[in-house]
Amino acid sequence: MSADDAHERWRNSTGTLGDRSAYKRVWDRQARDFDVASLAVAGHTDEPTMDLTARGFIDTLRATVGLDRNDVVLEIGCGIGRVGKLLGGECLQWFGADISGGMLGHAAARLQGLPNTRLVELSTVGLQEFPEDAFDLVYCTIVFMHLYEWDRYRYVEEAFRVLRPGGRGYFDNYPLDSEHGWNVFTEGARYPIDRRPAHISMASTREELGIYLSKAGFEAVRVVDLPNQLIAATGRKPGQGARRRP
Amino acid sequence: MNPAPDDPNLRIAALTAEIDDVKRREAAFRAKMVNEFLDRGERNSYLHVLREELAGLLRRQQEAFADMELFTRMLEAEGQEKAALEVELEGIRRSWLWRLCAPLRASGSSPRAGSPVPPGGSPVKGGVFTYYLHTSPFRIYREPTFTLRGWAWPQDGRAVSAIRVDLDGRLFVGRHGLEEPEVIERHGPQPANPRPGFEVTFETPPGRHLLSLEAQLEPSEWRSIMKTSIWCVPPGA
Repeated sequence: MSADDAHERWRNSTGTLGDRSAYKRVWDRQARDFDVASLAVAGHTDEPTMDLTARGFIDTLRATVGLDRNDVVLEIGCGIGRVGKLLGGECLQWFGADISGGMLGHAAARLQGLPNTRLVELSTVGLQEFPEDAFDLVYCTIVFMHLYEWDRYRYVEEAFRVLRPGGRGYFDNYPLDSEHGWNVFTEGARYPIDRRPAHISMASTREELGIYLSKAGFEAVRVVDLPNQLIAATGRKPGQGARRRP
Repeated sequence: MNPAPDDPNLRIAALTAEIDDVKRREAAFRAKMVNEFLDRGERNSYLHVLREELAGLLRRQQEAFADMELFTRMLEAEGQEKAALEVELEGIRRSWLWRLCAPLRASGSSPRAGSPVPPGGSPVKGGVFTYYLHTSPFRIYREPTFTLRGWAWPQDGRAVSAIRVDLDGRLFVGRHGLEEPEVIERHGPQPANPRPGFEVTFETPPGRHLLSLEAQLEPSEWRSIMKTSIWCVPPGA
């Protein structure tokens, strides 16, 4: 058997990694009921708490990558539109992308009456639905813990592509070296190996996030600790129109 | 006191406002570009086509459910009318006049005897056709006209030379000889009818009618492809 044949047979023999990669199916299943969807993506179901956490995140964006009234903004994994509902009022136009059409159905209901918001269902991992060099700010919050590492990087690469030169990127996750991140890790480890749920949270390391942004081409890459025990990696797409970091 | 025209603070403020305006217009252009890109991508995607088809099917399903409900109500009304007529008929049979006329009925001089065609019925004979109707005639007709589309050929191999609809004796001539490549691909070549598609538009005045879809077969014989009763209601009913 030649080396090529062996490679081919090995490729054909490998199985799937399970349901975790089937993001559309996994998240559509959790989106059937609004309360379940809210719990899955935000951790709570009541609107005031959701608004409070969204306001906190917008403050985080302002402090890390800056916000401008004229920004054209894209959220990757917007879920039920927790952030978009408030951020839509603070930018020129907000686009929310999610792989789950079910989640976007809930988001559409929550964003009614906000004409400068638009929801887009992603066909698969990536931002192929969007043109390049279009956005001032692309962010992705409380999403990376549900993705495999390859898919995290895919979104970072894609964010870089759709940002305009000088545009800013923001990505967060639990850090493995924090108390909360370690708890998430050990909780996951306690599951029987064959019964780990597809959406189980997986932490990141600071190095991991920093490497993704650097490899994708971002400059001025920083990884910062946030008050809510998350870490955020931020960077800027090189080119004209760079904005001074706050 | 007004500031001097060459006041640097004023010039800086004016330039800043101008730059902000340019930035706003540039950002608005990019937002418009993204929206147009999304609109175009959405329209061009196969997923969008499937969604459109699904929405069309759901609409047709809802219409079919509404028609089914209406048919059920009509059936109930017909049943009640039949029961009332049976009661009335029973009353007539018990009457002395009915008994008095019994010898006349026995002699075969019924006033109904001898009517060759039921009122409204098409005199054209039925034929054996292979056919399919893209627009189903089994519906409640709510528009002033309806177009029946489909394909057909007679199983005896003769060519179809014309298509028409007979609605209670009113004739509506249609177009025939329309391409149906997928049908030919599936059923094989039809030498006498290589283009078996047709469409006929006919009027649908309110009321119940007998519809007969008919084909003229060579040399000039009309045959019915299918017949059915149809119910037409005023628009919005």
